Amino acid sequence: MEAGVQKKVEQILRGELRYTSSNLALNMLISKMQKRIQADPGSMSACIDELDLFIAKYPIVAKVDLANIAAL
Amino acid sequence: MFITLEETIELINKGKTLHIAGDEGLLDKLPRGNWIGGTTPYFISEEGGVFSKERLFVNEIDYGQETRIASYGKYNVFQIVEECYDNGLTMLLMPYGSDVARKYAKEAPEVDELLMHPVIGWITGMDLELGGQVQARVYDGTVGESYTDRAVVMYIRLPEGKSAMVNMINIFTDDKNDPVIRFFDNDLSVTKCTVDGVETNFAEYIGQKGLDPRMPLVADYNGSYINTSIMGVENGAVGFYAPVFKNIDYRFATKVSDYAGEFKKRVDEAQAKSPVFTCNCILNFNYGELNGKKLSPYVGPVTFGEVAYQLLNQTLVYCEILG
Repeated sequence: MEAGVQKKVEQILRGELRYTSSNLALNMLISKMQKRIQADPGSMSACIDELDLFIAKYPIVAKVDLANIAAL
Repeated sequence: MFITLEETIELINKGKTLHIAGDEGLLDKLPRGNWIGGTTPYFISEEGGVFSKERLFVNEIDYGQETRIASYGKYNVFQIVEECYDNGLTMLLMPYGSDVARKYAKEAPEVDELLMHPVIGWITGMDLELGGQVQARVYDGTVGESYTDRAVVMYIRLPEGKSAMVNMINIFTDDKNDPVIRFFDNDLSVTKCTVDGVETNFAEYIGQKGLDPRMPLVADYNGSYINTSIMGVENGAVGFYAPVFKNIDYRFATKVSDYAGEFKKRVDEAQAKSPVFTCNCILNFNYGELNGKKLSPYVGPVTFGEVAYQLLNQTLVYCEILG
């Protein structure tokens, strides 16, 4: 994940920035990670790794989300 | 496609890979072949919502490079996460009221990796007029068996460069000014909850507030609203069609005065071009008065629960193949 996008993703996961995807799985994943980070702020890095995996697995679907997040 | 028994048999005998929904009386007559199926006599056909025990709803799986069919019990249903294709779609059918469906409903949201593999499916049902006289079934056409207590799964491998996108249409949303309801455990039936942090008897709360039980509880998953529909109140306990989960904030859905109109509006907005699979909840069919109404391209079985990764309620679920 590009550094600028990652910074915004981290803000989304901390609940400081709002982004809703049209991809149900990504919304469920973000929601799950927000709860995880709320309970354990140290899990941010593991969450980013997991999101990287999700993006790598679904490049066609994730491309739009990454562009939208970059533009926030 | 909404077709006759004879037409369905012809497709099976031609060696087509199929997902089939229909009444038990018809599914029992199908020959062995590369198909999975489940019981329901309710459909949204190309001609509109319909109740039928004379026709079957058939999806041809012609977008996969390879398919595998398997069945699982409650102790191993989550093997689907390990046994699916790396780039694929998993189609999961479970009978209404079965232990495997209950297990999946309660535990799926906490299963690691589940969101990494597209899973779509439905809870199979029965003619509501027959009540408890018949049981919901799923079918594994490869072995010619049907089950009331197992999940049947079709794994579909997609070509490189293609991805499965599982999505839903939900008419419900919440009002963030409404009280937050939380539950103490992952459960299909509850007596107690907290309302804005205060322990409360949930059935009494519903009664006191005069809440419409056709309106589900909704939880906001980063902008995707997940419904939990209320089945009824028995001996002071509120039963649900899908479990509520601890540590999730719920609110009652804001009242929808024109259910059918709102449903049509959301369908028009969704703009899926050619979903390869769709299923729609029996509660939408009944409350939304969908009998006779056209919803193309969202055609498929009317179900007793929808699976989009986890079990959903009062939702239309669909899958598109992108790329």
